[in-house]
Amino acid sequence: MDVALSRTGAWVLRVFFFLVVVFLYAPIVILLIFSFNDSAVPSFPLSGFTFHWYHEFLTNPDLKGALGNSAIIAAVSSLGAVVLGVLSAIALTRRRFRGKAAVSALLLSPLVIPYVVFGISLLLLFHTIGVPRSLLTVVIGHIVISLPYTILVLVPRLDQIDVSLEEAAFDLGASRLRTFRSITLPLILPAVVSAFLIAFTTSFDEYAVASFVVGTRATFPIYLYSALRFPNQLPQVIAVAVVVLVLSLAVVIAAEVGRRVAERRFESAA
Amino acid sequence: MSIAEARGSPPGRPRRHVRLRPDLTTPALLGLPLAWLAVFFLVPIAIVAAYSFDVYSFDPGPHGFTLTAWDHFLHSSIYLSLFWKSVKMSLIVSAIIVLLAYPLAYYLALSGTKRKYVLLLLLIAPFLTSYLLRVLAWKVILGNEGVINTFFVWTGLRSPDHPISQLLYSRFAVMLVLGYIWLPFVALPIFVSLESLDRRLLEAATDLGASRLQAFRRITLPLSLPGVAAAFLFVFIPTLGEFVTPSLVGGTSGYMYGNQIVDLFGTGFPDWETGSVLAIFLLGVVAVLTVVFARFLQPRQVAAD
Repeated sequence: MDVALSRTGAWVLRVFFFLVVVFLYAPIVILLIFSFNDSAVPSFPLSGFTFHWYHEFLTNPDLKGALGNSAIIAAVSSLGAVVLGVLSAIALTRRRFRGKAAVSALLLSPLVIPYVVFGISLLLLFHTIGVPRSLLTVVIGHIVISLPYTILVLVPRLDQIDVSLEEAAFDLGASRLRTFRSITLPLILPAVVSAFLIAFTTSFDEYAVASFVVGTRATFPIYLYSALRFPNQLPQVIAVAVVVLVLSLAVVIAAEVGRRVAERRFESAA
Repeated sequence: MSIAEARGSPPGRPRRHVRLRPDLTTPALLGLPLAWLAVFFLVPIAIVAAYSFDVYSFDPGPHGFTLTAWDHFLHSSIYLSLFWKSVKMSLIVSAIIVLLAYPLAYYLALSGTKRKYVLLLLLIAPFLTSYLLRVLAWKVILGNEGVINTFFVWTGLRSPDHPISQLLYSRFAVMLVLGYIWLPFVALPIFVSLESLDRRLLEAATDLGASRLQAFRRITLPLSLPGVAAAFLFVFIPTLGEFVTPSLVGGTSGYMYGNQIVDLFGTGFPDWETGSVLAIFLLGVVAVLTVVFARFLQPRQVAAD
């Protein structure tokens, strides 16, 4: 007899699980269906198959510009967040110092700040020091938001690897930088890649903070939000939505599979 | 002699008994991250706090420390009742989805299914896709001319003159969409706490004559409560300050506290001083919640040593 679940219980839970999965994916599937629907209004009955909306968004310069801006912001801010995250995570796992609990609490605190509060805070800061709002100000905000996520991914990995490997390299005369480059970095690389991907997707999708500090050049979420207010743009927004959703699902799954493969290789090598 | 000099010493010299560490010094590691957070996280919040007490302002005229805006806020029925409305909405959403997520996590962690991590990824994946696009999907589904209403009309279940009009732009829509968005995420901390549960405890309980229900009530549930508390807060905190979803699907009845803050800083009738008060109040509430429940939120690895 299973101690946690009866046979019926397991069956009921399995059905419930798959019902929830259907609930979670149904809206995405509905978007997919209507992105190919030959009507300016997404409603039943379906009126025919078309690639028109995909074609329309591929030729929409505003939309492509916004996608490009978001890609740049996401790339720069996740690079920044990963660098700061690696530094912080090494300090938290390898160093002893006073006030560590407070430092780690501060480093993780952007996780819980309401984005509306952080957004207006940054707005007031840039207003005060006279920095005009631009893509750069969005990057600055996104680095703050992504930093705790990168730390949360990197710390467990740093805890896992054997410190004696680093010490051995160091004892054999490698400089601190060399030790980091040839020992630590390769060992934490899978986590660095996950951290980068998490930071990238966080930034690429971030609307709340960006809405306060973005300048005249829109990011993709900013563009989407304004497009949602104009019904005639809805079908092509749905088409973009489908492309972005499918791409991001693919990235998520690829990242997870990649992490697993890397970990298995690491384990079999060790 | 500093550690750096010791490193440069020629080989063959006797090792000092201070154990050298192959890492950079603490200030070198933490300097940049802490400076970044100080300038772009702490200082901005301090500016908002200063603004709320009128110590600092962009408006012309004399300024000095005053509690006027705070006093006004604490005695205004509008802002406080809006805050309670948001608290209630967030509480209901958090409670419902934690209740829904618990059996999901239980199934993944304890049913012995072989594809546990694949199923977990299946559950979590929607959370990792675009937030705005998932809200958009519900706008398309719930609208008066949307998928549900036109489906009912098309199938003849309702006449086109009487759409179910409360679907979109309502408190219900906000709560449904927020629940939809956060459901996959709350399953995660509950799963982690159930996953680390020692099954031998359940076996021992069963051997001693406990039924499954008793074993669940006396062992599984209490041991998973930290995960449940973490899950609850992980939803409650962000939904409390939410403004994006209510502005897209909430209409006037779904208007939340976060929307009020945005509007006070908006282009209509801006009142940055009152807006700062509202923001700092929200931040204070969140900070208190976080500190009180810190032991559930603090990731064990970081808190250790």
